[in-house]
Amino acid sequence: MSTPHSASGHMPGAAEITAVPAGAWRQACLDANARGERFGGLFARRSASGPAQLRAVFSTPGSERLITCDATERTVETIVDTIPAAGWDEREAHDLHGINFTGHEPLRPLLDHHAPLAAWTVPTVGDDVHQVAVGPIHAGVIESGHFRFHVVGELILHLDVRLFYKRRGLETAATGRSLGEGIAYAQRACAACAVTNTVAYAQACEAALGLEPDDHLRRARTVLLELERVYNHLNDISAICAGVGFAAGVMAYAALKERAQRLNERLAWHRFLFDTVAVGRSAISLDSREAADARRELAAIRREHEAVWRQLGFVTSLQQRLEGVAALSAADAERFGAVGPAARASGLPHDHRLHSPRLHYGGFTAAVSDVASGDVAARTNQRALELRQSLELLDELLTRPLEHGTVRRRGGETRTAVGRVESPRGVTVCVIEREGDRLGALHLRTGSYANWPVLAHTVVGELMPDFPLINKSFELCYACTDR
Amino acid sequence: MFVLLNHLQRLRRDTPRAPDRRRGSLAVRHVDAGSCNGCEHELTAATNPFYDLQQYGLNIVASPRHADVLLITGAITTRMAGPLRTAYESMPEPRLVAALGDCALGCNLLGDQAELAGPLETILPVDLRIPGCPPTPKAIAEALTAALHRPSSSGHSSGLIR
Repeated sequence: MSTPHSASGHMPGAAEITAVPAGAWRQACLDANARGERFGGLFARRSASGPAQLRAVFSTPGSERLITCDATERTVETIVDTIPAAGWDEREAHDLHGINFTGHEPLRPLLDHHAPLAAWTVPTVGDDVHQVAVGPIHAGVIESGHFRFHVVGELILHLDVRLFYKRRGLETAATGRSLGEGIAYAQRACAACAVTNTVAYAQACEAALGLEPDDHLRRARTVLLELERVYNHLNDISAICAGVGFAAGVMAYAALKERAQRLNERLAWHRFLFDTVAVGRSAISLDSREAADARRELAAIRREHEAVWRQLGFVTSLQQRLEGVAALSAADAERFGAVGPAARASGLPHDHRLHSPRLHYGGFTAAVSDVASGDVAARTNQRALELRQSLELLDELLTRPLEHGTVRRRGGETRTAVGRVESPRGVTVCVIEREGDRLGALHLRTGSYANWPVLAHTVVGELMPDFPLINKSFELCYACTDR
Repeated sequence: MFVLLNHLQRLRRDTPRAPDRRRGSLAVRHVDAGSCNGCEHELTAATNPFYDLQQYGLNIVASPRHADVLLITGAITTRMAGPLRTAYESMPEPRLVAALGDCALGCNLLGDQAELAGPLETILPVDLRIPGCPPTPKAIAEALTAALHRPSSSGHSSGLIR
């Protein structure tokens, strides 16, 4: 049943393929899960001739597995009862490729916006139960998406999240492009995760081509990823303050984020670090003067952050609004496949930076607080904890200039590979399938995609007016979920 | 709290201001019609203490019914074309449409044609174009303050200055 035809276990990212018939799909996935391999996404792809093909990604720290099958009858058994994290993935595969997952009932539409309301919402009945529809256009400067709250008074009974209003079909459009061109699609999926998505894409391509980055390239990409994390975390703290209407905190952290983005522009000519990652080479170098300048500015940002953060601690009206709101237990975080700061704030020590041989994270330990209470306060504190860690990491990485990096041949070529990178919102998985030097398929499952269902679960039992705050404490992207 | 407010005051004092503070105001409603979130970040940044759009009379308002300008970001997806038209139709006259960023302007647009509704120009009359990928907060602030005093596409004064 199991036919690994690219078992080069030494090449990080090269996926071991487990091809199974449709009837064995569920068991193959459950077996991988039982072996302790972590679920990293499920998707379908069209094939030029023949039935749609299903893929599921499972991984251990050092290996990637792709379980594949031809969905000949367009039907397989669901895995969502054992792996609830696959819920959205199965709904997406159904809406895009018509694949039925028996046992996943009802299989509610996720991307299909033509479905009647009753089909895609969970029925809630009882005295005074009503629905509140919000979006797709929101009151602030926010991405487009629709939320349907089922409430009694102000209490949230259930939330149906309907995203994909921003679906641009980037993965479909990337198919058939050269591997080098494809990176533009990964980048355009999301500005705030541009570095993460492009590094994940580049790593997948390099693994498929049997290439390994040299030390310069590892270091350059790690610097870029941490610069991305710094401005995102500063942004998130500002957004959380906005969630409770604490303007002084919003502005102080917005100013800090601005400083971080101006530094990005100085170092890489772009405030979101666009076009700094390329397949097989580095697209950025810093001489010793630029590196020293960056260290000085980052040290200044750190001093200002710590001063402002200390002040926020004294604002009891702010702190009391964060504590105890929307607590996510460690067990639920694990069960629903939560990732990133949201998972770590609930006490899970998952951080893919621990397992990133293609990057420069030697000696890294995941930041988990002693009081990982999983509530909004914990998610806020988690950002500060990680900010300090990232700023320390950058300070060390920038003690030397960044030279132009490259790749060297390490192993054989494979058709399929997986890139996996810890974004500011959690681990992002990028799967590529090659057809010669062209992209046969591209799949991007970002940290935001993993966490949206977790957010929907977390708001149950909370107050509707707290939703903006809870939402900001996760601060998920719509753009890289919709793609 | 006191220290924090002092910090903000210092920050504001140290940030150079544009000397030109003409009178007038514009109420801006933003619609994300399929962006990568870059334009949203930068539009929000234009309200941070370094740019402080509000001091020029530019306010981001919660409803298109309160807005003079509809500021649109992103490739126009088929799924957002409808809500976008609804937002435009609910605006009072006179109104301006601003395209923010290269996607809304139809440049270097990436995506599957089946998911995209076509360039903004073919959906709504565009009065104001702010290029960039994404446009910097400075460019956004400058373009919007310039819009305070520009005539509308019909050639008449926009009538938006109050």
